[in-house]
This record gives sequence, structure tokens and C-alpha cells, in this order.
Amino acid sequence: MKEQNVMDLIILGGGPAGMTAAIYAARANLRAVILEESVTGGLVNSTYVVENFPSYPGINGVELMQKMRDHVDSLNVSVEEVCEIERMELEGEHKVVETDEAVYTARAVILATGRKPIPLDVPTACEQVHHCAICDGGPYKGKKVLVVGGGNSAFDESLYMLSIGIESIVLTEVMDRFFAAQATQDELLRTGKVDARTRTRVVDLVVENNELKAAVLEHCDSGARETVACDGVFVFLGQNPNNESFRDVVALTEKGYVIVDRHMATNVPGVFSAGDINDKPYRQITTAMADGTIAALAAERYVRS
Amino acid sequence: MFVELNDANFEAMVAGTASGVLICYKKRCPHCMNMEKVLEKFAAKNADVKLFKLDSEENPKALAAFDSERAPTILVIKSGAVAARKAGLMNPKEMKAFFEAA
Repeated sequence: MKEQNVMDLIILGGGPAGMTAAIYAARANLRAVILEESVTGGLVNSTYVVENFPSYPGINGVELMQKMRDHVDSLNVSVEEVCEIERMELEGEHKVVETDEAVYTARAVILATGRKPIPLDVPTACEQVHHCAICDGGPYKGKKVLVVGGGNSAFDESLYMLSIGIESIVLTEVMDRFFAAQATQDELLRTGKVDARTRTRVVDLVVENNELKAAVLEHCDSGARETVACDGVFVFLGQNPNNESFRDVVALTEKGYVIVDRHMATNVPGVFSAGDINDKPYRQITTAMADGTIAALAAERYVRS
Repeated sequence: MFVELNDANFEAMVAGTASGVLICYKKRCPHCMNMEKVLEKFAAKNADVKLFKLDSEENPKALAAFDSERAPTILVIKSGAVAARKAGLMNPKEMKAFFEAA
């Protein structure tokens, strides 16, 4: 028989939105639990240096999220990590979330499930395709890698990889410009070790004896193809929303993001949503925290009504 | 829950372990943090399995011996020897299957 837990608030997701919501909920004397499928911190954990979080000119993503987690823990909020959701009932006055370890019931739920990396869509499978430079960059010291994507993650992680000794990088972006902060773009391109190409897509990988040898690149306008040698591929193409567990119940946009009002309320009474999973124009740590704050305050009002 | 290994003691500890799992990690590796939680859940259901961890960046001799440049690298130890090795993240079900197959 699984442990039965009656709470005031269940928070699905332990990234910056979920943890901020938990802090506000706890300070409002709500019994709250964070249910996280991985570990707390979300996508910020994969960021080597965060330079746009007010208070820190530069801080490692894991370190920043550990500080946030320490704050959550100091308020005695329950956190279940590596948690598999087996059943969820969001409609009705009492919401139920059953994990592999326990059953939680509460009058309010905050969805803060965030997003997951978009995979590289090529016909050839390959073990040398990665999404985390800190985890998987080590074996490529002295070698050449392909970075797919032109946003902040691609540029930041490229800087990290050069710092640990990757010899050179080919960086590709399908649009006609890069989207990373200009300062970061300038810093990376100044190294002289990066061949950065816009209007370029990766169409296939060349693999021999289970080892990556090259990538086939195609110019988006001319269609011209070029095979470039590389030993590894790091993919930073953005993310897809994690909405599998509630997409049949909660109103979503065509792209799968949660529709909320200014109180972070969804179409389901007692269900709120915060962070990157929401439909909104800008997804940053600070905007996630703002959403989490509002969702928690609105959830408190709902629970006490 | 984890016994920390290093270059000085890893060989003797592995040789003296009947049943165990070692995670070779890097301090700021998010997948490693996740994998540690997976192993904690695994160990909670397998009391006779010892858990070890080793910082690959601080222990070059062990890094070379275990080929653990990628993080996390998980090694299953049975009867005093490494029985299986895998780099990358696993969920609890995959970890259970990996250990049983080793």
C-alpha cells in the first residue's frame, strides 16, 4: 500500500518556477510537495554559466539551483525526485497525483513541468550525439565537434567546450542570424576556433563502425551540401513542452503550451501553471520565477476560498 | 549512502566488494545528480548492493582505469570485479535491468 499524503498544493516540476512556487506556498503556510521526474533545477542545471540572473554577474547553473533548493529545504517543503507519475486526476475538487512511491491529494496543483531538448532529426542513429557539454564534452578534448543551434545554449556551451580543450567547432543555425546574446556571440567568434554558419542545416551523419566521422550539411537556400569531419555532435535546438501527463485535460496552444490568465490559472479550476510550460513570449529564469510566485499566491487564495 | 572512492583506494574497494554499483561523476554534471537519485532509489530496494561514487575530474588514475571521461559512467561490481559498464543516464527501470543483466 502506497503512502497517502494529503497536501494543500502539489507542484509538478522542480525547476525555478516550481521551486519559487514552493517557497511562496510554504511561507503562506500551505503544505506543499514538489514532484520532479529528474532532479530539482530543471534546464538551468545544464547551463555552465548563468550571466543574466540579477544578483550574480556569473554563476554556474547547478550552483544557482542548489542555492534555490537549499531555500526550499529550509522551509521543510517535501520534494520527491526521480519521480514517475502513474496517475493524475486534475478535475474535481480534490486533485490526485499518484507516483511510483506515494499518492498525493490536494485542492490545488501547479503545473511547472518545463520543457525537454528537441532531438536532432537525421536518418542515421549515432551514439556521439549529445545535449550536455558538461556531461559529455570531456572525451572530445583535442577533437572537432559540430554544434547544432544558434541560441544562447549553443554559444555558451561552445565557449565551455573550447575552455576544456575541444580543438575546433563548426556551429550551424538554419535561420539567417544567430540568436545568442551579442556579447556571447562576439566572445565565441573572437576565439578564431569556430566556423559559424547561418542558413545551414544538418541533414545526416556519417557513421563507420559505430563511430561518428562526419556530418552532412546543407545550405538552406542553395541546397548545396558539404560533408564536414567531426568527432561529436552537440545539439541545442531548443525545447519541447513536457505536457504528456495533462494534455488531455488542460487547454494548450497548438504548440502544446499551457494557456493561462494573469493569475496563472488554467481552464481547470484549482490548476495553475508556471514557467517554460506556459504560452508566453520570453522564457528566462526570472520570468519562470515570476510565474511561480503568481501561481503560488493565486493557489493560496484558491485553497483558502 | 555512497562511499567515496579515490585514486588511492578504488582498486582495493572494488576487489573487496561482492555486489555494488559505482558512479563516476563530475561535480557540475546534471545527469550525474539525476543518476545519484536513481541509484539511491535502486539501493533502497536492493539492500545488499553497496553504492560507491568517484569524482572523475579529481582522480585521473581511476578515470583512465574505468574509461570514465563521459559522465555519469556507471559500473556494476560483482564478486570483486567490474561486471558491466555504461555511460549516460538511466531511469530506475533501466538501472534495474542493467544490474540484473551484468
